[in-house]
Amino acid sequence: MAGEDRAVITAERDESVDVGRGLDALDTPTERRVPLWRRFATGVVPPIVALVLFVVVWQLLWASAIWPEFKLPAPGAVFGQIADEFASGQALSIIWTSISRAVLGFLFALVIGTPLGLLVATVPLVRSAIGPLLSGLQSLPSVAWVPAAVLWFGLTDGTIYFVVLMGAVPSIANGLVSGIDQVPPLLPRVGYAMGATRSQAARLIMLPAALPGFFSGLKQGWAFSWRSLMAAEIIATSPSLGFGLGAYLNQGQSLSDMPSVMAAIILILIVGIGVELIAFRPAERRILRARGLATGP
Amino acid sequence: MTATLDRRDRAPRTGPPAVEVTDVSKVFGSGADAVVALDGVDLTVAPGEFVCLLGASGCGKSTLLNLVAGLDQPTSGTVAAGSARPAVMFQEAALLPWLTAGRNVELPLRLAGAGRTERRERARELLTLVRLEGLAEKRPHELSGGMRQRVALARALAAATGMGGSGATEIQPGVLLMDEPFGALDAITRDFLQAELLRVWEATGTTILFVTHDVRESVRLAERVVLLSSRPGRVVREWGTGSETDVEELHEHITTELREVISAHGR
Repeated sequence: MAGEDRAVITAERDESVDVGRGLDALDTPTERRVPLWRRFATGVVPPIVALVLFVVVWQLLWASAIWPEFKLPAPGAVFGQIADEFASGQALSIIWTSISRAVLGFLFALVIGTPLGLLVATVPLVRSAIGPLLSGLQSLPSVAWVPAAVLWFGLTDGTIYFVVLMGAVPSIANGLVSGIDQVPPLLPRVGYAMGATRSQAARLIMLPAALPGFFSGLKQGWAFSWRSLMAAEIIATSPSLGFGLGAYLNQGQSLSDMPSVMAAIILILIVGIGVELIAFRPAERRILRARGLATGP
Repeated sequence: MTATLDRRDRAPRTGPPAVEVTDVSKVFGSGADAVVALDGVDLTVAPGEFVCLLGASGCGKSTLLNLVAGLDQPTSGTVAAGSARPAVMFQEAALLPWLTAGRNVELPLRLAGAGRTERRERARELLTLVRLEGLAEKRPHELSGGMRQRVALARALAAATGMGGSGATEIQPGVLLMDEPFGALDAITRDFLQAELLRVWEATGTTILFVTHDVRESVRLAERVVLLSSRPGRVVREWGTGSETDVEELHEHITTELREVISAHGR
């Protein structure tokens, strides 16, 4: 009798194992991998088509001669200008001047913005004191700092880095603050329940959990660094400051050289997009994908 | 025929209690806004025992669990939870989404300073125990709700038992605190996980203190069901279960008592 009962129980358990396997198979989310050609077709082809259309419309407008040549040069003239600058090696030196400044300024901003963000996020008094100021600074165009910076630092690299910092630091700090704010309160609790010390909880739980928000702050911080740098370079020009993209743009304007003005704008755009695509996009995709947050292909 | 529990009766347990709560009160706020969540609660859980705390919402059962877990301090009274820190499992799996299932299970061992290879080995053992062998490399978002809760169970076991049999001089079965861990799951998954939890409990000898508001769940799982009243939370009654227990009768009995407790608040 007892043996029979035991057998029934064992059979029930085996059945339960099958139910478990079935549940696992049915409920597991399936991840659809988008084939490469499809990603190419939806991600790469449309922007290229849009770009080609843009150039065609430009060419047609130029050909219709509504505006004089010095206002609207031909696409060929502009791209020719860019090609010439590259051929003479000047383009690379101009771009290098600007990019090295932007990267250095961004790294400075990172070094200042990260502890600042940590402080604002974790110390309530600091948050109520400078939190609003920090978000306010984000909406202040950093070009507004150029006159003050010129008066303080003169026409030196200090002016340029100051403007870049004022542009990027608030974004980076605010990104970290919102990243930490968005961490579900259950995660640090789980950490403490498992016996994590404060520093272990910060290092192993809070920082990785805040990473997506922090990273979007970094991305915005980079965009602001680049913009602020261009604003500073256009306004504060001097032989002592070196010759970056902003100075090149400024020189084009003073020489009324429309092709080089447009070439400068296109190069600024290409560098901005290029850094985003090469450095930030892949890192962001990795961060989001690891957390199951990636949207789209 | 009456439904009985498919469980062996155990020998009476000896040794110091795994959890001992003595005359514990917890008051939130102060003055006129003060809310008495717990009032003079006594509770003793023997090592290896499975106890369910049952009560309606607001009875302070989660508060009591937090006190035992050391996440909160009692206003008065004492809470003693054995030698090792109890592990907690919540209604949500609360896995760290950037870590794989295996790394999640390893985390408490890592916090305790265990070496990489031994904690990896232990995590594999525990994942096998909850029938998730071979899924150590999956991320939480690639798993179903029930599977995530089993990873959380494996992680809680890792936290409760440490390195377990491998290398430790004395195996500590540990204490597992569970706060409505199956509350967010669908009925079939919940049923399956209840059976799994019983199996894991029998296999590991862990002490379990399980909070629920589901009478059927408490009768099915626990050796002892403790009913708490609401606001303030006090121990009203407790029932033991064994292989001779008539499940339906006990279920009806506890439900009646729980209704009584809840109705007292409407009057």
